[in-house]
Amino acid sequence: MATFNPHAMLPETQHDEQARQDFVGALRGHLSARVMPGAYKIYQSRVLPAFVAAHGREPLDEQEVRSVMTKDPYYQFWSALQRRSQELLWESVIDPTERQVHELVNKAKPRRKARGSLRLDPKLPIPRYHTAADIHLQPGGYHTEFVADDVAAGAIYDKGINLYMGGALGAENDLMGNTLVAYLRERHPERKPLRILDIGCAIGNSSVVWARAFPRAEVHGIDVAAPVLRYAHGRAEALGVPVHFSQQNAEGTDFPDGHFDLVVSHIVLHETSKSALVRILAECRRLLRPDGLMLHLEIPRGRTVIEKFMHNWESYNNNETFSRYMTRIDLCAEGRRAGFAARELTLEEFRPQLAATQMNYAEHFFWKILVARKRAAR
Amino acid sequence: MSATEETKPESSSTTLLPPEFPKGHRPEVFSDPAIDQLYAAYVTLCTELAVAFDRIDTLERLLEAQSGISRETIDGYQPQPEVEAARQKRRADLAARLLRPFREFRDDRLARGGHNR
Repeated sequence: MATFNPHAMLPETQHDEQARQDFVGALRGHLSARVMPGAYKIYQSRVLPAFVAAHGREPLDEQEVRSVMTKDPYYQFWSALQRRSQELLWESVIDPTERQVHELVNKAKPRRKARGSLRLDPKLPIPRYHTAADIHLQPGGYHTEFVADDVAAGAIYDKGINLYMGGALGAENDLMGNTLVAYLRERHPERKPLRILDIGCAIGNSSVVWARAFPRAEVHGIDVAAPVLRYAHGRAEALGVPVHFSQQNAEGTDFPDGHFDLVVSHIVLHETSKSALVRILAECRRLLRPDGLMLHLEIPRGRTVIEKFMHNWESYNNNETFSRYMTRIDLCAEGRRAGFAARELTLEEFRPQLAATQMNYAEHFFWKILVARKRAAR
Repeated sequence: MSATEETKPESSSTTLLPPEFPKGHRPEVFSDPAIDQLYAAYVTLCTELAVAFDRIDTLERLLEAQSGISRETIDGYQPQPEVEAARQKRRADLAARLLRPFREFRDDRLARGGHNR
């Protein structure tokens, strides 16, 4: 497991709590590197031949693969262990968080000398795509409050996503922010954004990366869930990075038209819904200044039918309800539906360097980036 | 989450804990749900065994480095009542962790899909 930088907002672990987290990390690494690839092998060696023998052709889509793979004992073995490892990772980080929650609440409270800010809206309705099921099986999701001024969901998420991705997200869960910053510097080196919006920012792990990369920029992070935002504020202040967090729905914010040079998100879109997706993209367009840039980082959904089926594991087993529909969605078409012109939009690929222990569902990993460059008004 | 709700009444009065089980659909992988439960309990057992191994390793290394305590002393150890009480709580916590999947299936049947505590 790669190193994880401690900071003031992370709950401290006692001996057995740490041992439990370490084992869950080891178990998931083993499942990714040694067990999951076997599912691809059994597909080729016995599931696909049996399907062809029965139907006289190969499966047409991931749904047909699903109808046969979920009956295979090896796949069942991996799936049952993967599900339990996901539950366990949250359980292993909930224990220390619960023990220290009141200290964490105090640490996160906004101070007079804060470099960034926190603006909450207790009246903001939480969208159904958060409340219907706890995303990634995190008990209570991002939004549930257990104590006054709660930050628990943020603390649980911070260490939890480190274990989730086998440390692939980096020492400060900064991989996704770093990936988009690298993309911007490589493909748009002339850009020096002065106002940046990170939507669905959760604990602000990527917002902080943007604020560090562009220290002259004013960086805003929005999310619908108060507990993760309070934590995000405490975390950014602990790291000494100014970010302005506010509790807002990306489907409709209170920022003025054309307010941002750059609007970004980091694997957020697949957690929303079909109608919310279009509204979010339309809001991004409204918020961009002429010639402003929109970058949405998305996880791969697979190229072959078996890869698509494996990536969809999260949708059927990990409360990513919308992501199975994302497998079939043309993001550029959704962008056009949201008001972008076809020539403003592209869908690009960007490849991170991940180890075998860090790829949960496939042996190849390509980020997708939905890019829109809002044309300057004539 | 607490392993045994019954042993932590004082904390539940001041802190509303995260639910023990996530809200949402729970997939059934095998045709017999008992097999799902056994897999889940088996993974938990491995986890708790790993935790115990780490703790034993820590203890043995500290004892070796900082005292002259021998294995005979450890073998002949008789726990005092308060030590035994603490061990009983630990065993109950372990059992609760191991039996979590069975509790979830039980609660799932009572209120399918919702938070339970």
